[in-house]
Amino acid sequence: MANQIDPGLLSQFAIARTSRRRFLGGSAAAAAALALGGATLAACGSNDSGSTASSSAPADDGSPASGTLRVSNWPLYMADGFVAAFQKATGITVDYKEDFNDNEEWFAKNKEPLSRKQDIGADLAVPTTFMATRLHSLGWLNEISESAWSNKKNLRPDLLEADVDPGRKFSAPYMSGLVGIAYNRAATGRDIKTIDDIWDPKFKGKVSLFSDAQDGLGMLMLSQGGSVTQPTTEAIQKAADLVKEQKDKGQIRRFTGNDYADDLAAGNIAIAQAYSGDVVQLQADNPDLQFIVPESGGTTFVDTMVIPYTTQNQKAAEAWINYIYDRPNYAKLIAHTQYVPVLSDMTAELDKIDPKLGSNPLINPPKETLDKVKGWAPLTDEQTQEYNTIYAAVTGG
Amino acid sequence: MAGVASSSRQRSRIAPYLMILPALAYLAVFFVVPFFSLARTSLSSSGGSVFMPKLTFAWDFGNYTDAFSLYQDQILRSFGYAFVATILCLLLAFPLAYVIAFKAGRYKNLLLGLVILPFFVTFLIRTLAWKTILADDGWVVDLLGTMGALPSEGRLLSTSWAVIGGLTYNWIIFMILPLYVSLEKIDPRLLEASRDLYSPNRRTFGKVILPLALPGVLAGSMLVFIPSVGDFINADYLGSTQTTMIGNVIQKQFLVVKDYPAAAALSLGLMALILVGVLLYTRALGTEDLV
Repeated sequence: MANQIDPGLLSQFAIARTSRRRFLGGSAAAAAALALGGATLAACGSNDSGSTASSSAPADDGSPASGTLRVSNWPLYMADGFVAAFQKATGITVDYKEDFNDNEEWFAKNKEPLSRKQDIGADLAVPTTFMATRLHSLGWLNEISESAWSNKKNLRPDLLEADVDPGRKFSAPYMSGLVGIAYNRAATGRDIKTIDDIWDPKFKGKVSLFSDAQDGLGMLMLSQGGSVTQPTTEAIQKAADLVKEQKDKGQIRRFTGNDYADDLAAGNIAIAQAYSGDVVQLQADNPDLQFIVPESGGTTFVDTMVIPYTTQNQKAAEAWINYIYDRPNYAKLIAHTQYVPVLSDMTAELDKIDPKLGSNPLINPPKETLDKVKGWAPLTDEQTQEYNTIYAAVTGG
Repeated sequence: MAGVASSSRQRSRIAPYLMILPALAYLAVFFVVPFFSLARTSLSSSGGSVFMPKLTFAWDFGNYTDAFSLYQDQILRSFGYAFVATILCLLLAFPLAYVIAFKAGRYKNLLLGLVILPFFVTFLIRTLAWKTILADDGWVVDLLGTMGALPSEGRLLSTSWAVIGGLTYNWIIFMILPLYVSLEKIDPRLLEASRDLYSPNRRTFGKVILPLALPGVLAGSMLVFIPSVGDFINADYLGSTQTTMIGNVIQKQFLVVKDYPAAAALSLGLMALILVGVLLYTRALGTEDLV
């Protein structure tokens, strides 16, 4: 088959590849956004977009998908040869861009054109669930047509019926993963099991936390008896206070995006809040790295494919989603990204690529791990803003 | 003949204005308009929907007082780091520019080329490279550790010194080049004259070289200081949670918290502070001639 990838080659890539959401371009993009910020600010208030349901997809005239599809995805979140295989199978030309670096920054840059319904240069993007929900509530997403998405049946039932989008009308999960703790066993000299272990004075200046409020505070709230399924301002504040206390002590070296991986690999950081797939990738280089979900619990994230209402090619975007939801195709993606599949019953397909994949506890988490992780409740805009503000005051601006 | 002469004189009177027109248009579009937009935003209050807020102009000076009381640590730190980095740049760049201008002979252009060469590599990559060099497990830290010369944190990366070092390294070229230009303009016969009059080297430096190089010192220190104050890349990559600068705060306010009035107030306030500093500095050095 033309789109078959040599498994040996795949495992090589798994070793050479760097982490998923590598941050390199992020700050440069931020600099550009700052430079442009002044000019666009004046327009900020001019549009009062109401909260409406997503626009429905354009009427189907029965013709097959064709033309060009512009995909905007996170860096290193794709398998080699995958885009070419899709192009070959469908005849659609794909303009694949790895320009999705950070949810909030992406939103800051695209909200103006979206509010005016202007093209943002992407027909499909891959925001994390909370951002997909926000885009939906602003009325900026198209629905994904059921008829063009026959492989939807392969989606994990828990994701299909998720509160954030019951029945998955506007968001198609792409990858899911665990937010936990990664540590370098050689540097810590002992196993890390709980949140309290992170605050051991022995690791002063060797700890990194996520700067994102949900990913950073979630597991701390759980360890303090708080809840992420029913978050409260008090619980958020309590967790943020803990971070502030540890920051002032010099325990926390950095607040990171996805750039913790470099420091962890280089030995500058001994313990980091981390995403599961990144760590599986890093373990190939450094077997001392471990990933755990703290005893008090961790959180999960789901990145989803969405079609902005400014899309120029709705059908091709749907064809892309449907292609990814085919199990053999999806297995190739997982072999590359090493995250937790969003499709059910993937073990057999994964084992065909590499027998070790299906049994990897971070790709196929055992029940005791899944019991410990919680997904964030869908937050209102006011909650998201409040939590971001509380945590930003601690992460030092 | 007279007609021709007057028309050419007329043309020469208009020509300078025509020549600055593109630059003026550029400044108007990319500075003046954004500046007023920013000023307007900084005095607005936001309301309505959270993520598509409506900004209403309200002479809201509270944005300034709130932002500055909340982030005074970062502002002071930014000015402190930028100040130290500027001094370091000056101390490092002066001897180098002096050698290139007076002692390099036919290697002058080669040396200047070498000074500029690293800047062909992007800012981001050069800064990230320092992370590798200063890594906790790296040989630099090992070496300094055995010499007992490490800062109190017991590391180099993620300390104030790494951030100041990064600023110095990234902006030093803007010190070297203006210094070189003003030193290169000095007539060597003045130095000879000074020596003929039995002036010791130290005195020649203080009485002849330094005063003549002052325009370069002034230009260089402003070119280093101003971008350093607002820099956020160095603090982001080389710093820790204790070394955040005001640039990091503004970036976060714009892109994460999306409190545009606060971010705009910080940006404009910073601009005003820098302007005051620069005016005082120019007055102190007492030079009209900037380069």
